[in-house]
Amino acid sequence: MAPSTDILPGTLDLLILKAVSLGRLHGYGVLLRIEQISGGALQIQQGALYPALYRLEHQGLILSEWGVSENNRKAKYYRLSAIGRRRLGEETAGWNRLAEAIARSLAATPQEI
Amino acid sequence: MLSGLVARVKSLWTGMRRRDAVEAEMSSEFQHHLELRAADLRRSGMAPDEAARRARHEFGMVEVHSGAARNARGLNNVDRIRFSWLDLKLGFRMLGRYPGLTIVGGLAIAFAIWVGASVFEFVGQMVRPRLPLNGGERVVSLRLWNAESSEEEFRVAFDFAAWRRELRTVGDLGAYRALQRNLTITEGFGEPVEVVEIGASAFRLAPEPPLLGRALLPADELDGAPAVLVLAFDLWRTRFGADTGIVGRVIRLGGSATTIVGVMPRGFKFPISPQLWVPMRLQFANYLPTDGPGLKVFGRLAQGASIEDAQTEMASLGSRSSADHPLTHRHLRPQVRRFEKSIISLDNIESAALLSINLFLAMLLVLICGNVALLLFARAATRESEIVVRSALGAGRRRIVGQFVAEALVLGGLAAIVGLVATKAGLRWWLGVIDSAEGNLPFWFSDTLGPWTIVYAVALMLLSAAIMGILPALKVTRRLADRLRASAAGGGGPSIGGIWTVLIVGQIAVTVAFPVLTYFIQRDVTQIKSLDVGFADNEYLTALVSLDPVEGDTAAVDRTMFQARFSESVEKLNAMLADEAVVRGVTFGDRLPRMYHEHRLVELDSGAAAPLNPSWPAYRVSAAYLDRNFFDVVGVPILQGRNFHSGDVASGSRTIIVNESFVRLVLGGRNPVGRQLRVVKFENQDKVIPEEERGPWYEIVGVVRDMGLAPYQPHDPKYAGFYFPVDARSIYPIRLAIHVNGDPITFGPRLRFLAEKADASLQIDAVKPLDSVQDGNLQFYAFWMQITTVLCGMALLLSLAGIYSVMSFTVARRTREIGVRVALGADRRRLIMTVFRRPLGQVAIGVAVGTVLVTLFAWSIMSDRMGLVHLGLIAAYAILMLGVCLLACAMPTRRALAIEPTEALRAE
Repeated sequence: MAPSTDILPGTLDLLILKAVSLGRLHGYGVLLRIEQISGGALQIQQGALYPALYRLEHQGLILSEWGVSENNRKAKYYRLSAIGRRRLGEETAGWNRLAEAIARSLAATPQEI
Repeated sequence: MLSGLVARVKSLWTGMRRRDAVEAEMSSEFQHHLELRAADLRRSGMAPDEAARRARHEFGMVEVHSGAARNARGLNNVDRIRFSWLDLKLGFRMLGRYPGLTIVGGLAIAFAIWVGASVFEFVGQMVRPRLPLNGGERVVSLRLWNAESSEEEFRVAFDFAAWRRELRTVGDLGAYRALQRNLTITEGFGEPVEVVEIGASAFRLAPEPPLLGRALLPADELDGAPAVLVLAFDLWRTRFGADTGIVGRVIRLGGSATTIVGVMPRGFKFPISPQLWVPMRLQFANYLPTDGPGLKVFGRLAQGASIEDAQTEMASLGSRSSADHPLTHRHLRPQVRRFEKSIISLDNIESAALLSINLFLAMLLVLICGNVALLLFARAATRESEIVVRSALGAGRRRIVGQFVAEALVLGGLAAIVGLVATKAGLRWWLGVIDSAEGNLPFWFSDTLGPWTIVYAVALMLLSAAIMGILPALKVTRRLADRLRASAAGGGGPSIGGIWTVLIVGQIAVTVAFPVLTYFIQRDVTQIKSLDVGFADNEYLTALVSLDPVEGDTAAVDRTMFQARFSESVEKLNAMLADEAVVRGVTFGDRLPRMYHEHRLVELDSGAAAPLNPSWPAYRVSAAYLDRNFFDVVGVPILQGRNFHSGDVASGSRTIIVNESFVRLVLGGRNPVGRQLRVVKFENQDKVIPEEERGPWYEIVGVVRDMGLAPYQPHDPKYAGFYFPVDARSIYPIRLAIHVNGDPITFGPRLRFLAEKADASLQIDAVKPLDSVQDGNLQFYAFWMQITTVLCGMALLLSLAGIYSVMSFTVARRTREIGVRVALGADRRRLIMTVFRRPLGQVAIGVAVGTVLVTLFAWSIMSDRMGLVHLGLIAAYAILMLGVCLLACAMPTRRALAIEPTEALRAE
């Protein structure tokens, strides 16, 4: 497993939006999905996940509904809303632009200066 | 962005409304998470207990995450100021526990909301009315505006034909004009009614079908079609007894037999609240540009068209007309406006001025709320121990303020309900007063409250709750910790500081000053009623006499022929009246005593005269045209010179008779007979007439006593004026004055019968005894009297309640001190004076300030007529008000005098 990396501030929301965009999930499932899609590189502090989930729900970016989980228990499931999908697209594009810019900066050689 | 905002509001609302359920769901979700994590750890080989412990450890502090989750939903902010349903229940309980405050404070807030909502609704109906028509917001008026003279051109028959033919953006076009016709139901008794001659398309705007029969149809407008009419609901009810068999009945309208074909439902009064409608029979295609009678045009915007689209199309038609008819249409601009603008035309500045009245009334509410807040503060001060204990148990200041706001919301909510109910009732009454005094209120005015009025009332209620709740709460919760320590030592407690003192003093000052308004209103009413016109006017019946115009096009009727026909009919009527046994005399004029007389500016010949009033470029006097026999018939003697004779009404004659005030104010008491004057400006003119254009000189031939020329200026009932002699050919309409044996009003029906016999087209209106011609205005005075009386009562109630609360608060706060000092031997009465010195001082200052306001107001009205008598009256009034205010101190003083030291110390 790749060494885990600390979540940069402000990126947890983006990761949650991405996780639920791949299918409806309960809170624990979001945690596992983020670990899965990051190849284990990103691990979220568990309790801190829920304030982020509620914040995104409060902003209307994700929607929730109650269902039955795999352990036959009542659980709250989250899915992406239309405005959440739009926000995910915007944030992803922004993140990619930033990552490209940083990667280009880090790849700079003395000859390019 | 909007959807995000909606989501936030929805989430917040859910969190507030289902607080406990939301908390339970959060706990359930956390628990579920822990179970799943523990299950994963068990699957990895960990022991169940260890897995559960590890899961909890990884999750972290549940309470911390719960708080963060609550914050993420925005509920923490609500927590800080939240009030629960329990606070509202407590608020209801407080209403019952303090009934005096509930009644006084509730009435005061209800009054402020009533006034605010009433004016808001009335102004709204003026500035932005809701037309009770089919597609009311799309009904428009079309007009021609003369850009050169800046006035409307009403002769639009030619243009109307073109608009009807060519306009695509406006449909259901119709024209109308207002007329007055004699309606004769029973032979011999005709009464004028307000008629609108209108196109049948108007009835497509009605939201409901006719109550009986049918509306007007296009076929009714054809030349030669039978004469028909449609009744308005009110006329059908009052003149026809709501007869359901009315359709088909033939009556006489303006002398012609006309069939009633329908009755419109209650509320339909398009376009100008007529009593009945008749079809428009003008042949528009036959008219030349700017020819024909004055008309108004209406229509409805076509589907998908806006007013701007219609204006563009009208402008295009207008350009074509200007090119085709330059002589008449060069300066005429066609315009399209919302229909109500053709009835009440307010520009942006006027609308803003009217709307700003709401701001003024909101300030009135703030003022009243401040006073009620004082009462609530006094109540809150008695609950200090409760508040201090709650604070000690952990309730923050915001939480306590929230409780006070909740209690104020309950009081304000009940007051708002009472205020809104009063608004509807008050509006119905107020509209009735205006309609009966002025007549023809715009048809859309109703007592129905619009949704925005209710929103406004709720906003006022919330504002009042915020002021009444927050102000006293902040005062009472200030430095709670210090007061907790101080109260343990037997002292401390909130005090009435500077702002509250100003409030109390201001309240008392207003209470003292306001009733003066009622004095001046009553004084005006008394002077109007007691005006001595110099003869027994209660024995005279007056009536306004006019003539139905010839059927069809009034503009084509020669004015001279019309006047000749009118004077012939009037002379015939006068002759018939003179033959009546009960009639002692008949005379007429354009104005009679007690009626408003128009002003003129006049210049005198070169002889000596009184100094001019510097406010006017010439002498300002009133005038009237009277029958040459007027003074003989009413029995008013000529004091100097001679009376009018037949030669004075001959063509070219220029004589007048002046009154005593004219001799005194204009001629300075000099002999008026033989002097001359001429008019330099009429009331309806903006500027003085240039010298070369002024009319002839008139010679003064006699003097009569003052006969009530200026009932509107009762403080100066003797007003300078003069009279022109005329016969019935010279003035239109005329006002008859008939001297009758017995009660003059009983002669009214006989007068109508004789008028019908003399000429069926004669219209007899405004029939009443001469001494009651001011009744309409007295009704307005009565209305204002009622309003100011209610305001005075409200102000007095608040003041007395405020004084009582302050005194009670003082007693409650200083009970221990009074008990201790009495125990140490202090004289009770002197002690009470010391304790009450401050509140009594506030009362005295308030009365003094109010007295000064009264004096200033009286001086502004009476100026140099104000004398020692008036100052004495003001002083007596001030003493009376001081006494009334001190009455409110009686109970608290009695309580203070009854304090027993042992009881006072034991209570601590």
